[in-house]
Amino acid sequence: MPRRDDIKRVLVIGSGPIVIGQACEFDYSGAQACKVLLEDGFEVVLVNSNPATIMTDPKMATRTYVEPITLDSVTRIIEKERPDALLPTLGGQTGLNCAVDLARAGVLATYQVEMIGCDLAAIERGEDRKLFAEAMAELGLECARSGYAYSIADAEALSHELGFPLVLRPSYTLGGAGGGIAYNIDELREIVAQGLDLSPAKEILVEESILGWKEFEMEVMRDKKGNGIIVCSIENLDPMGVHTGDSITVAPAMTLTDIEYQRMRVASLAILEKIGVETGGSNVQFAVNPTDGRMVVIEMNPRVSRSSALASKATGFPIAKFAAKLAVGYTLDEMLNDITKATPACFEPTIDYVVVKVPRFAFEKFKGTDTTLTTRMKAVGEVMAIGRTFEEAFGKAMRSLETGRAGIGVDGKDAFDEQRFNQLVSLPTEHRVFYVAEALRRGWRVEDIADTTGIDPWFIYRIQAMVQAEDALRARELEDLSAAELYEAKRTGLSDVQIAILTCTDEQAVRALRKELGVLPVFKIVDTCAAEFVSETSYYYKTYDEQDEVRPTTKPKAMILGAGPNRIGQGIEFDYCCVHASYALADMGFETIMVNCNPETVSTDYDTSDRLYFEPLTYEDVMDIVDVEQPAGVVVTLGGQTPLKLAWSLEKAGVPIMGTPPEAIDLAEDRQRFAALLDELGIDYPAASTAESLDEALVVADKLGFPLLVRPSYVLGGRGMVIAYNNQYLEKYMLEATKVSPDHPVYLDHFLEGAIEVDVDALCDGQEVYIGGLLEHIEEAGIHSGDSSCCTPPFTLSTTIIATIRDYTTRLALAVGVRGLVNIQYAVKDTTVYVIEVNPRASRTVPFTSKATGVPLAKAAAHIMAGERIASLGLPADDRTLDHYSVKEAVMPFGRFPGADIVLGPEMKSTGEVMGIGKSFPIAYAKAALSIDYSLPTSGTAFVSVCDRDKREIVSVANSLHHLGFDLVSTAGTAHALEAAGIPVRRVRKVQEQRPHIGDDIANGKIALIINTPYGQETRSDGFFLRTAAVRYGICYATTMAGANAMTRAIEVAQRDEKNKQELAPIALQDLEQWDFS
Amino acid sequence: MTAVERKPAALLLEDGTYFRGTSCGAPGEAFGEICFNTSLVGYLEVISDPSYAGQIITMTYPQIGNYGVSRADLQRDTLALRGLVVRALCYTPSNFRSDLSLPDFLSEQGIVAIEDVDTRKLTQHIRDKGAMRAIISTVDLDATSLAAKVQASPSIVAVNLAQTVSILEPYEYMPDESAYDFLLKPVPEARHHVVAYDCGAKRGILRNLHRAGCKVTVVPWDTPASAVLALKPDGVFFSNGPGDPEPVIETAQAARELFGKLPIFGICLGHQMIGLAAGAQTEKLKFGHRGGNHPVMNLRTRCVEITAQNHGFGVVFPTLGKLIPALSAGVTEHAYDLRFWVEQGVAPVVDNEHFGRIQLTHVNLNDGTVEGFAFLDYPAFCVQYHPEASPGPTDAHYLFSAFARLMDGRADYLDIDIAADRLKEWR
Repeated sequence: MPRRDDIKRVLVIGSGPIVIGQACEFDYSGAQACKVLLEDGFEVVLVNSNPATIMTDPKMATRTYVEPITLDSVTRIIEKERPDALLPTLGGQTGLNCAVDLARAGVLATYQVEMIGCDLAAIERGEDRKLFAEAMAELGLECARSGYAYSIADAEALSHELGFPLVLRPSYTLGGAGGGIAYNIDELREIVAQGLDLSPAKEILVEESILGWKEFEMEVMRDKKGNGIIVCSIENLDPMGVHTGDSITVAPAMTLTDIEYQRMRVASLAILEKIGVETGGSNVQFAVNPTDGRMVVIEMNPRVSRSSALASKATGFPIAKFAAKLAVGYTLDEMLNDITKATPACFEPTIDYVVVKVPRFAFEKFKGTDTTLTTRMKAVGEVMAIGRTFEEAFGKAMRSLETGRAGIGVDGKDAFDEQRFNQLVSLPTEHRVFYVAEALRRGWRVEDIADTTGIDPWFIYRIQAMVQAEDALRARELEDLSAAELYEAKRTGLSDVQIAILTCTDEQAVRALRKELGVLPVFKIVDTCAAEFVSETSYYYKTYDEQDEVRPTTKPKAMILGAGPNRIGQGIEFDYCCVHASYALADMGFETIMVNCNPETVSTDYDTSDRLYFEPLTYEDVMDIVDVEQPAGVVVTLGGQTPLKLAWSLEKAGVPIMGTPPEAIDLAEDRQRFAALLDELGIDYPAASTAESLDEALVVADKLGFPLLVRPSYVLGGRGMVIAYNNQYLEKYMLEATKVSPDHPVYLDHFLEGAIEVDVDALCDGQEVYIGGLLEHIEEAGIHSGDSSCCTPPFTLSTTIIATIRDYTTRLALAVGVRGLVNIQYAVKDTTVYVIEVNPRASRTVPFTSKATGVPLAKAAAHIMAGERIASLGLPADDRTLDHYSVKEAVMPFGRFPGADIVLGPEMKSTGEVMGIGKSFPIAYAKAALSIDYSLPTSGTAFVSVCDRDKREIVSVANSLHHLGFDLVSTAGTAHALEAAGIPVRRVRKVQEQRPHIGDDIANGKIALIINTPYGQETRSDGFFLRTAAVRYGICYATTMAGANAMTRAIEVAQRDEKNKQELAPIALQDLEQWDFS
Repeated sequence: MTAVERKPAALLLEDGTYFRGTSCGAPGEAFGEICFNTSLVGYLEVISDPSYAGQIITMTYPQIGNYGVSRADLQRDTLALRGLVVRALCYTPSNFRSDLSLPDFLSEQGIVAIEDVDTRKLTQHIRDKGAMRAIISTVDLDATSLAAKVQASPSIVAVNLAQTVSILEPYEYMPDESAYDFLLKPVPEARHHVVAYDCGAKRGILRNLHRAGCKVTVVPWDTPASAVLALKPDGVFFSNGPGDPEPVIETAQAARELFGKLPIFGICLGHQMIGLAAGAQTEKLKFGHRGGNHPVMNLRTRCVEITAQNHGFGVVFPTLGKLIPALSAGVTEHAYDLRFWVEQGVAPVVDNEHFGRIQLTHVNLNDGTVEGFAFLDYPAFCVQYHPEASPGPTDAHYLFSAFARLMDGRADYLDIDIAADRLKEWR
């Protein structure tokens, strides 16, 4: 049953912005799908609001829509493009939910679009817990005992029946959002109340607790002939109770005997059949009672998931690619194994290594939130590592995390909370494994740790083996170590840094000794078949064993260092840049070598580059690859801070760096040198100074005057950055900041309150500068550029200001010595342009700027790094006029972190971004807003409450809202200002006042829009409550005046669109001008 | 922690390839044919499978022994393999059913084993150079002396290994199934009586026959056909077994005599016995099929079964007879790569000089070798792979149901909904 010829045009829905629980793994799967469908002659219509994706590159689809993933927006696209089929299973929960909406609304029927891969009934059976439980019962498979609650009373009744603790899972939410574990009636009430709010179906599954059971996951593929295979089994180190996305997981399953494993396998295949997944990939989760082997089914996802991406990377079996082929008619036996190119795809991969995934968290960004890991996912990213043993892979994974750690301890960074030590061994947090390892060092028994944590003893024994390997080296003299001893340490996963700490030397000395003694790693191939067949694919991992399988070629090689795990401040945007560079360098005749450890990404797809090294981005691991491959150049400026940090040490080791040299990076990052340069160039910058102590800081504050922007040196995503309005706050900050970065001083800049920020992405080849784009921020200076929405081309800047910015950019890029991409941030206050900072590397906005202008900046940068001139690239004039506006808006994860304030500030908190394209700024802004919130209120009641600073400006916004037909309500202060201006407003009481107050109105669904601007560092106040409620109830909100202004104009657009259906018409990228190099 | 002494050990192959490692089983020296198995789980079923008699097994999965040894899962109480090679053995296993650790078990069973070997390198070597003789030693680490010993050791080709792992006296299989109560359904009442030739039968096969509703009488490999007929069974089964099928003359002879008298089913060596009974030739494969992920196309259903395999020899399908073009889509010439028939979408039929029409039913998709055939004029069928799994995927469990249907006299015995059969035994 080969390819279906009755389908010509396939609609693929992406997953939208990166949020917790849905990250760039769907770019990886979606990009694979688009690629394979195009190759097979299908036309692909793609919708994805996330511009930082490879899949939205204009070449990846026939028609690409960076538009909201909403019923309304996708309906318009269907109407315009008339696809024959909709592939709903590759865009995560967002794509699946949108497909369900389209089907239920009759849109698919109206336009005769067939849902392929999985139909509505199957999605419902898979997603609806009640239908799912029924289906399992029919199969004779056990689920945890449970019942449904539609109210708190229902849940209470169930608690009597099932007993505490109870697991609560709201229906149809992403990554377990709104769920949790209740140990008592109070917690039950609290979580159910929250969960009912978040569940679109207002329904919660209340389930018997199987906490502490072992958790497994099976990645399954099926075709329409009924062929089914298990691609990969995964076992969680963290037992039931921690969301899989937050768990350390291992592939393959380790502690199941054959008969237990086969039962799980058979059940997985039967479940897919029963649910009705006609074709494609799905995952099924199981829990197993460690004491008697009782197995229960937890859930299944009738779509490609985060773990499918992991399974694909772990085995080399491209699940999403095959899922797409299966959906258009092929069967598994008709396809070839992509890696061996000789055996069929219809088989079960077998591996001869161990894979460990470790999640990456960002709790430091969300002060006040509970950092305990629960059934609600909180991780923002993950790393994967491959080794020949669990120990080796785990050691690698722990040093891949970019948390500054070089393993599970004894890396010079150990710091344990002695008072809570015992509790932190047992409590699931991101640090638990460090406490487990330390407990072993302190002589705890494996059984006791297993008992208190619920972690299977097998894992604890393995960690014990790692600790014993440390013991063998502890307090030894490095030069006394034999080759055999060093070899054993490396085989057990210890890093050079750990060995250095144990032997009181340094990493370089360990490396030198290893080389001298011949303790060198080898590289082995990921081949899906454990070497049973010859493999044609260059997908490598490092280990300490006998035989090396790398066969370096004589072609010139370019090595690209990736961005590591997603975290706040460093996400998919950098992976996009690395992938583009890889494509461009390959076009130029280089053999491309990718190094990265993030399994969610396109960069770690084995066919993105000529060679893939799935390895940590540390000095040791990168140098080991350099030693083998001897690249002509290494690209360090496209993967964000991760590779940039390595630039100096690589150069010192004699590694040729491509593009901007480390010296230039240092010039831009060293505040004193940079200030001197600006003085020399006659360019303004905010008054600034540094301080190494609190006293110094207070002196500086006195000199510069408040407000001050305060931050530690060398920051990522604005970490630890605040605006201080007074001495008291500055003191508090200084006491905390010393923890952030002990070796570096604190910077204090005069903060330009109310200034407009502008981001510029530019290219420089040493002679010429090309301005990629000017991005005017909507929020005033002081909001981290990653969290701020912005628009290109600028929508309020004068031509004079723009000319000044272009001039500064050109001079700065040349003076710093950039070869490739540079990002410069400016603040425009009145008519003066100030330089805030220069980043001589790819910025977060490169993908957005590239999509907005049609110029692939990262590819251009790769050409420049390879020695080409800008003049020879054939780029369009950089001062040409664009006839459309593009808005980028940040997506915040506040819903995941109850307890943390949702005010925007100089510390970045967003996880992802969306883009809106329109003929005017308000249209583009409206589309971006729709991409995040799914709807814009066009009528109803607006609650307006602003700080004194904004009382004057709020009048015009309120007036607009009034004219747009909104009823206004305000608390006393703001109401007074509005009344004075003659705008009708109703007064409501503050939350701290008597009830009923505004909180009740919000809870009762009476408020459609909230405008609330905070002042200074107020936290646990009225404003905090209001903003939190806005997130909780999904109400449209603005926390800045600029945001409120833009939102008002967007609402105006949405109102017009309601009438004419023209305003928000979708725009395909292919209809805008595009440039490319090959 | 363990009684096993972690002393240096060495592995040397016939062609001189030498590996240094660490002893992780019994001390001593072991000779055998080196082979590899790619199963991710099921090391215990692998090493206790009597078909590995005469062999040294390399497990390609690097960490072995993780869930210890549950004696209930043993395919035989004593081990027939010669030696075991792993990358890393687990001394601290974890599973609620584990009775002892794998190194302790190996040592108890007197099996010489070596760890810390680059098993991937070794696997590639076997893949490229073919199966060959090898030696593991914990007492002699000298390559030259080991080479002399391995050269002097016997080959397994043309040796009747089946007789070394068979039984001496017939017995009725009456297992204690309580170890599987937690995941398997109760055993149904016996409806059929089956005589099973034991050429090294795995317990998994006997269990599956038992669970398919059969009373199973197990008999030695060389039991004459007349003795079987005297038991008046409803069917006869030919088991798996080790090594080269050609020297196992008595079993093949009995199979030939039983044709037409009883419904017949064969697995692995049993499949080869049936092939030999029908006059086919067998061949030695380069490095064999050993693992739990082999894709096999069922030509009758056009569906793929993921199968467990363990064999180093195979039947040469074209030697069963000339194609019958009318039943083979008009094709007259044999294709030696049987994937030809997969592409054609045809289950070809040959004319066999002894037993009439034989249909090719199963083909290995990795290398196009024969995996199963069925006799159209006699109640007999057989497969090369292991439907009992143990270890491995159970997709082909339906073949046991098929055997019961064959004994019920159903002509459509092979036409079973595989998906529906899948959950049959599980709780």
